[in-house]
Amino acid sequence: MVNALTCLLKKKVTEETPVRDEEVEAIGRAIKTEIDAVFGRSLAIRELDTGSDNAAEIEINNLSNPLYDVERFGITFVASPRHADVLLVTGAVTHNMAIAAKKTYDAMPSPKFVVAVGDDACTGGIFAGTYAVLGGAEKIFPVDMKIPGNPPTPLQILAGLLALMKKARMQ
Amino acid sequence: MTPEQDIGTRAAQEFLGAAALADRLSTGPNNEQYVLVEETEFENAVAHLAANKFVLIGLFCCEGFARNAAQTLFYVFERRTSILVLVRNTGGKATSIACIYPSASWFERECRDGFGVAFEGAFDTRRLFLHETYPEGFHPLKKSFKNASVVTRATVDPAEEYPFRPVSGEGVYQVPVGPVHAGIIEPGHFRFSVIGETIFNLECRMFYKHRGIEKLAEGKQPGDCLKIAEAVSGDESVANATAFCMAVEKISQTPVPERAWYLRTILLELERVCSHLGDQAGMLVDVAFPLGANQFSVLREECFREHDRLTGSRFLRGMVSPGGLSRDIAKPDLDELVAFVHRVRKGYKVGLKIVLSTASVIDRFATTGVIRPALLRPLNISGPSARASGGKVDVRLNHPYGIYGQFAPKPQRLRDGDVLSRFTVKASEIMDSLDLIERLIAEIPEGDISTTPVIKDGYTLVLVESARGQNLCWVWIKGGVIERYKVRTASFCNWLAIEHAVQGNIVPDFPVINKSLNLSYAGTDL
Repeated sequence: MVNALTCLLKKKVTEETPVRDEEVEAIGRAIKTEIDAVFGRSLAIRELDTGSDNAAEIEINNLSNPLYDVERFGITFVASPRHADVLLVTGAVTHNMAIAAKKTYDAMPSPKFVVAVGDDACTGGIFAGTYAVLGGAEKIFPVDMKIPGNPPTPLQILAGLLALMKKARMQ
Repeated sequence: MTPEQDIGTRAAQEFLGAAALADRLSTGPNNEQYVLVEETEFENAVAHLAANKFVLIGLFCCEGFARNAAQTLFYVFERRTSILVLVRNTGGKATSIACIYPSASWFERECRDGFGVAFEGAFDTRRLFLHETYPEGFHPLKKSFKNASVVTRATVDPAEEYPFRPVSGEGVYQVPVGPVHAGIIEPGHFRFSVIGETIFNLECRMFYKHRGIEKLAEGKQPGDCLKIAEAVSGDESVANATAFCMAVEKISQTPVPERAWYLRTILLELERVCSHLGDQAGMLVDVAFPLGANQFSVLREECFREHDRLTGSRFLRGMVSPGGLSRDIAKPDLDELVAFVHRVRKGYKVGLKIVLSTASVIDRFATTGVIRPALLRPLNISGPSARASGGKVDVRLNHPYGIYGQFAPKPQRLRDGDVLSRFTVKASEIMDSLDLIERLIAEIPEGDISTTPVIKDGYTLVLVESARGQNLCWVWIKGGVIERYKVRTASFCNWLAIEHAVQGNIVPDFPVINKSLNLSYAGTDL
């Protein structure tokens, strides 16, 4: 039987983070400063896949792994567009997703920002001008920031978000 | 011809007769066998193959094949190491075989949308990848349609919305989910019919991400299609690029240098490790065990960084090319990879021990989302999902390509078919892939990494084992450019398994069942 007291009194152990990535830290601190100034400490992001190859989603998901852990910089990924400040769009907009994508955008409260992540979302990429897609995200709603890449790395996505925050502060 | 390949020929002899077979059987560059079947013989042939345990692994269509200006259907059957393709000429109409081979249902609907082939007697004639906004009579894969923007409707009347299979009864209610989900995942619609908390029925509606991959490749030089093959599914880039390149190499009879195959195999196995780590982390997130999940997501991020160091791409893109590889990986880099593999293995064992000794995790995983072995053949379920349900399927073992003949993976096989079995099979596969990578680096020969292929016309069928299972690819080159590029990823078939796996489970277990099957939406929707 474990004595409850020993649990309370024994030395607490917290593991060191496996890798401390100075680049991530620097960008994260800058983002936090901007978010504090513009959004009152937290930036709520809704991710929307309108036809990507899933690589961009994987990278966006990676932002939450312990090596980036972006929540500590004030970035949260929310489950509903109704709670979101920013719509992070990946992939060219397919005809099959167009209606759902528009509904998602319309459900967001204003003021709202749209960020296109990856070549396909920025311009339609290799799919531009073909039968199955409308093109890049700007075909169906205004886009405030574009982060190119196939797919962009987590660091590039963070840099893009920082640029958006700076742009928002100017407005 | 090996005795195993003979299974296909023997079956064809039985349903056609030896005399008729002689001028109708041909062997493709990848040793797949094509048999031209007349309309009158077709039904009998399919019945014969079904009785002899052949699995329908693919069904696709093309136009203008071998003197038939209209549509030709290719029914790809597999039995052990033999691949038999029935070639059926149609004039736009054909009888359905979905009642014999349920996996044919989606295939037939795909051919109907793409080419306008009408399947008589089909139990499901709804559109598949062309959703309601596309105009009637639009068939994008027909040669008469030149790939260009089309005008679709901006809204859909409720009366014209996709009709889901009606499910009714006392206490049955519907839970519609998607296409936009709560998490950061791809779009798809799930229509649950639920009694209390228990799922009575699930119908998946996919193809929201249909972006016209197959049509996009047509008319392009093979070398220009790599980006398209890599865009089939993000974390299957190496597998799909390898399948495409293998097809081009087989058609043009280009020998691939040995060193290139060693490096390709290393990349294929790295991709598998990375994908499985992501699944396992996801499964643990879905049962609310972040301590375990983070063990694997840290390792996975380190894998991505290692990929970047080795190839300049976190998704290992731009490496595989027709004829071999686009660039070499130098010895010091490979030595560092060995050290990395050691580190991953050590870290992985620690994580696995934490997970498997946590009772709450085992409680959620065990007996959840069972895929019965009886479903494997009718639905052509492959990959870790099949191997966790007693299936002996692994393209690397059944149809060894590249150097998998010398470097065979350990056959994995569990029988329970639940989430825990899939988790455990993936754990064994990670360890096995790490071992394989080490062996490959230890024995890698020096030499060239690429032969420039001289593109020839022809067609062939290639199978590879991606992290998710059996990926099929059929390439037809005509006039030096791609005439038809057919991709069928493992997920296309495995999606149908989830409708069965969730029955009798509670709705809150759906995410973990879904993650354990690791289905690619992009790879299905194309």
